[in-house]
Amino acid sequence: MTDGTIEKMKGAFSTDLVYRSEDVPLTCIPHPEELEDTLHGLMKLNGLIIRSLEEVAGRGANAVTYRAGRKYGHEVAKYFEKIENIEEALKELSDILRGQFTFEIWKPADKTSYIIQENGSTFIYLVFHDCIVRQTLRRNGQAQGGPLCQTLYGYVVGAIEEITGKKAKLEIVHTGPNACLKKLIIQ
Amino acid sequence: MISRRYGSVIEIRVDDNACNGCGLCVKDCPMHVYELRESLSVPIHPENCMGCLSCHEICPAQALEHKGIYPSRRHYIDIRVCEMLNRVI
Ligand code: SF4
Ligand code: SF4
Repeated sequence: MTDGTIEKMKGAFSTDLVYRSEDVPLTCIPHPEELEDTLHGLMKLNGLIIRSLEEVAGRGANAVTYRAGRKYGHEVAKYFEKIENIEEALKELSDILRGQFTFEIWKPADKTSYIIQENGSTFIYLVFHDCIVRQTLRRNGQAQGGPLCQTLYGYVVGAIEEITGKKAKLEIVHTGPNACLKKLIIQ
Repeated sequence: MISRRYGSVIEIRVDDNACNGCGLCVKDCPMHVYELRESLSVPIHPENCMGCLSCHEICPAQALEHKGIYPSRRHYIDIRVCEMLNRVI
């Protein structure tokens, strides 16, 4: 590499911008449209980490990612107001996660309540629409339902446990390119 | 077949000329929306559709059409690749 090339490379990193210590960033720089490369890089990296984790840890990968997600859910929801009503808690969580993990509480048309009791278990169906995990997996050609999805399950379970004080479990029912159906089992 | 869901209307259409009666959508749909009748898929319970679109992905004849579902964000599609493809097409 010649000096000229290095200088040219360096030139791309020097600006006239003045940053003062009291400056608080009020806008997202660069504009979100310009972040596409960053987003794709992150998705690629996440996909590779998950693939490697599966190679090394096998089925144990799910336990690791689920645990990480659950911790994150507890951490984030610590600051929420405690709500005992599970439907209210889910609504609160859905508002907060909108955009990253946009989900709705869902029920088949023949059910009268969103809280469904079947074969001795009580559960609520959740339909996840926007989902950064699904986007990452599809970006990398990886199957849905694996360890990366487990982080999301853990996250929702952790947040619900933190908000309601009740134990919960999330099960995958179906995955699709546009939405995924999950069952939140209340224990 | 049209149904109402949360005040919005979901419409599922099966192109009878394209459908080959393979039944994949019937087996795939977790909400049992479709049924095979005289070797054609018929959406008998569109009110139970939650918009996952896995039936679109699995249908070899691309015979399905959904109207009124929430389209989720698809950041995984590379804008530049799309632009290139659009130019070629
Ligand atoms: S998957 Fe497609 S071709 Fe097969 S039965 Fe369903 S609509 Fe028809
Ligand atoms: S979009 Fe999903 S829920 Fe709706 S008909 Fe297709 S497979 Fe069934």
